[in-house]
Amino acid sequence: MRKRMLAKISEYLMTLLVIITLNFFIPRLMPGDPFTFLSSDEGQVTVTYSEEQIAKYKAYYGLDKPILVQYTSYISNLLRGNIGYSIYYNDHVSTIIGKRIRWTISIVIAAIVISSLTGIVLGSLSAWNRNGVLDKGLYTLMMTLSEIPAFLIGIGFLFILAAKLGWFPLAGGMKSFANYSSFADRIMDILHHAFLPVLTLSVVRLGEFYLLARNSMISVLTKDYMRTARAKGLGKMRIIFRHGLKNAMLPIVTRVFLSLGALFGGAILVENVFHYPGVGRLMREAVMVRDYVLVQGIFLLVAITVLTMNLIADIIYRRLDPRVS
Amino acid sequence: MKYVKQGMKNIKGFTLMGKTGMAVVCVVLFLGIFSDRLSVHPYNLPSGSAFEAPGPVHWLGTDDLGIDLWAQICFGARVSMIIGFGTALLAGIGGSLIGICSGYFGGLIDKIVMRVTDIIIVLPDLPTMIVLGAFFGPGIRNIIIVLALFSWTVPARIVRSKILSVKEEKYVVAAKNYGAKFWHLTIRHFLPNILPVVMVSVIRLFSKAIVAEAGLAFLGLGDPTSKSWGLILNHAVNFRGIYFTDYWKWWIVGPSAAIMLLVTAIAFICRDVEKIVNSKI
Amino acid sequence: MEHSIIRVENLSVCYHADKRGSRAVNNVSFCLDRGGSLGIIGESGSGKTSLAMAMMGLFKKPTRVDGQVYYENTDLNRLSERERNLYRWAKMAIVFQNSLDVLNPVLTVDEQILECLRRHTPLPPREADKKVLRLLKLVGLEAKWSQYYPHQLSGGMRQRVLIAMALSCDPEVLIVDEPTTALDAAAKDEMIKLLARLHKEKKFALIVISHEMQVITRLAGRVMVMYGGYMAEAGLTKDVLKNPMHTYTRGLIHASPSANPYRDLWGIPGEEAGNSSEGCPFYNRCNQKVSDCKTKLPRLAYVGIERRVACNRGGIVTLLTGENIYKSFSFRGKTVKVCDNCRMAIRSGEIVVLIGASGSGKTTLASILAGTLAADRGEVLFEGEKVKGNRAACRKNGIQMVFQDPFTAVNEHLTVRQAVAEPLDILKQGTKEDRIQQVKQALKDVQLPGDDGFISRKCHSLSGGQRQRVALARSLVMEPKLLIADEISSMLDPSTQANILRLLKGLQNAKGFAMLYITHDLALARKIADRVYVMQQGSLIEHGSVPDVLSKQGDGVAALH
Repeated sequence: MRKRMLAKISEYLMTLLVIITLNFFIPRLMPGDPFTFLSSDEGQVTVTYSEEQIAKYKAYYGLDKPILVQYTSYISNLLRGNIGYSIYYNDHVSTIIGKRIRWTISIVIAAIVISSLTGIVLGSLSAWNRNGVLDKGLYTLMMTLSEIPAFLIGIGFLFILAAKLGWFPLAGGMKSFANYSSFADRIMDILHHAFLPVLTLSVVRLGEFYLLARNSMISVLTKDYMRTARAKGLGKMRIIFRHGLKNAMLPIVTRVFLSLGALFGGAILVENVFHYPGVGRLMREAVMVRDYVLVQGIFLLVAITVLTMNLIADIIYRRLDPRVS
Repeated sequence: MKYVKQGMKNIKGFTLMGKTGMAVVCVVLFLGIFSDRLSVHPYNLPSGSAFEAPGPVHWLGTDDLGIDLWAQICFGARVSMIIGFGTALLAGIGGSLIGICSGYFGGLIDKIVMRVTDIIIVLPDLPTMIVLGAFFGPGIRNIIIVLALFSWTVPARIVRSKILSVKEEKYVVAAKNYGAKFWHLTIRHFLPNILPVVMVSVIRLFSKAIVAEAGLAFLGLGDPTSKSWGLILNHAVNFRGIYFTDYWKWWIVGPSAAIMLLVTAIAFICRDVEKIVNSKI
Repeated sequence: MEHSIIRVENLSVCYHADKRGSRAVNNVSFCLDRGGSLGIIGESGSGKTSLAMAMMGLFKKPTRVDGQVYYENTDLNRLSERERNLYRWAKMAIVFQNSLDVLNPVLTVDEQILECLRRHTPLPPREADKKVLRLLKLVGLEAKWSQYYPHQLSGGMRQRVLIAMALSCDPEVLIVDEPTTALDAAAKDEMIKLLARLHKEKKFALIVISHEMQVITRLAGRVMVMYGGYMAEAGLTKDVLKNPMHTYTRGLIHASPSANPYRDLWGIPGEEAGNSSEGCPFYNRCNQKVSDCKTKLPRLAYVGIERRVACNRGGIVTLLTGENIYKSFSFRGKTVKVCDNCRMAIRSGEIVVLIGASGSGKTTLASILAGTLAADRGEVLFEGEKVKGNRAACRKNGIQMVFQDPFTAVNEHLTVRQAVAEPLDILKQGTKEDRIQQVKQALKDVQLPGDDGFISRKCHSLSGGQRQRVALARSLVMEPKLLIADEISSMLDPSTQANILRLLKGLQNAKGFAMLYITHDLALARKIADRVYVMQQGSLIEHGSVPDVLSKQGDGVAALH
């Protein structure tokens, strides 16, 4: 058991190393000079770097030294927690990300909780009433919902709930230049701003959790052990919760953790729709101003988070399912 | 040819939803192929005044620069189709081949392939695509390559596990006894077995690729020279005050509807194909 | 019936009742005494498990269950789910068919047994824990297994856990569904012994469901045979096995390795067709069906003590009876008794072997039975009609005879077509084309080529084996109900002999005719006989099933060895 766990962890470390290595090589494999490359997009901010800045960049990447030296210094920097210095923002990458990450983490966690719980409830309802009107309706709705891209759902909510009805603010994480009379006010304002992004993200993920919960419940309901449990004359609650849900929850719980990567992708889109000040928005800004160090820093952070979540999913699955050991 | 005929037969077995989906995809394909003939106006140059409402001259109106939206949507269909087909074919064929090799030969190849797919599956796709797009430039070709790089693992895994089970079938053992080589086995025994499952995943990839490209373009990180549906939306939502004017009625609804229609149409097709494939297994 | 603990009346199960779905169980009724045992046997899909599920009340919509299940005097089907739960497991428990999923994979063995005790007994926790261990010991499992998860157990251990779980609340009725599936021979034997022991110790009423004859015979005093959801036959296990009254039961016995230590195994031909709701469910596979059977559903009726059978013809019919047959020949002034008070009965669809040394009168008796030779005294009845002259032979569905010597059996100057079609030509059956078709079909049945080249060949160009088959084909075109085969293979070489015999048995199994096979070869009799008559010096000295007769140490039998 412990041995297997160690093997699993070392597997993840290997994967992490590969990602870090890729991260190291990508800017060096880039065609042409990264600093003259133009992401010319009409109507966007065009940034030109001064000679001094470019020199600083080159020093950071250490492009004049042999590749192996570059690699080892890159790794040792990472180990010391130094993921680079952003020239555009003139600050440490970790500091910049640190300021923004709270926003993203809170909407992502809120969305995961809401979508998974709603998905499980609706999916179980569908499974209990399999092939009934409710099931068919929910199923078609969720099938369609899970196909629509996140940003379209976001735009839809923005137009209807924010622009037309005016219930929610159009953009941002909180009122700018606001003086809050109390802490509670401040919280309310933040929640008010977060509502639409969280709603959008939840709706985007809802279909997946619903379908998973429904399939999982349906397959558990037809299993022989459910029949055994009924034959034993057990109470309905015990049959549903102890025998049914404990089995049906296995794939759902792991999926909650595994879906983090996809959820972060969704967060990038949603944050940009709502101009929400999270890491997703930051990533787009960084690409726009060609702040490669920052882009890579964000990417590394996301990759590490996702890997950790995968590892946790593995561990939890092992805890829950006695068949895996 | 045999497969085409079989495919036609299967389409007849579609539900109404599936057939509608098929029709929508055909229409979009048609729009994409003949985009330059279907619209009298150019897609990249102003042909009228800004913000014209839909009318007889500009069917779907114009954007802030006075460019015809119908022309943009037609051209966007072409971009979506190229991206969809390109990625699906590249990832489908490549992934299947890798899956066949990995499943058939096993050993080191299999181990490497499985590790690589593990890594790719773990990587969050949109952020990675943004990074790769940022460094390698966001041309259509690059987007297809990046999308394919991320998608081949799905068919590869499915094909691999299928091959692993088919490999043990007695008819393959018998054929091997007769001295059949890898290519013979692949064409005769493996392909007919994996084609249905690959079909389903390729259709999924198709839709996933279109959505991913739309997302990238919406962020303004796609190919800036090709007017894809996502890019139209990007311009639209970045136009200040769009929420408080009536322009969104044609500027945003058009491309949004196009994306949604296409994606749900593919989903319906996928569901029907899946049903048929499952009923055959 | 007052003392019976469980009484099932007219129980029916209909899947997808909303869409006019199929019925898995049809009007099944039976009762079981306290401490008694009942076996339910049938092929897969015969409704055995559905019956058990219905008794436990485990069906949900859209499956509809009709009829009554009385526990003592309470109709369980009228109870609410809550009330019914008081009976489940506490009074009536079930051991489901063993599968990987039959126990919950995420709960330990201990928890799964314990939850029954908690639910149905007032035992304090500590007592309950002890009881779990006692139960495990009872089924021969060590205490340590209680902390294991189901997937860590072997198939046999899982089966034991299932039994321990079922016995946890000391039920009055125990239903055991296929207790030996997925077990090897030794484990199977142990399992049966365990169940038998538990039945004896715990005195519960036992219902065993199995498709294996062996399991039923060793565990159940009474047996009920099910086919297509209907009860086909019911009675004491011993009687049913020895003397099946339904053609289906007989087919099952023929297919059972444990009931046929010597004989070849033959399955029941055909598949269960989607039969119409009216008519006998076994119609398509029955070998004694009459036109009535297609439209008339047979009712289960008593045909003997403790014996019920559902057959429109009252069970397997007796095709031919020979009563008190005497025959003697005068030879140079001496009178030789060739048949001395011979009695014989042949039931439809069975193979009866008449065995005896040469000169014991077998052929004479056969000729009398076929009607080609007149008896001095006594009478032969075929389907209730007297057999006289060629009356039974010159019609379809009658008696046909195939002779010993293939070379004289067929006129060697005739072509194959002429030889096989002869009876049809004589009886002027059908058009010429029809006859040729029938000839070709018959030749195909006996595995001879049916092409135009072959049927126009002269018989003298054929080998002995081929000629014997032509003779067989000639009999088959008459679609006989009884075929008398007189040493038909004795003049053939061993390989051809084996081929002809297998062919004959195969034809008999497929077409369902009865056969009287005459031989002096004991080994051969063992291979094919359902019943055997032993003839010695004109008398039938023994008769019965092969193992019975051969185990008797009489002189006549000893002479055959």
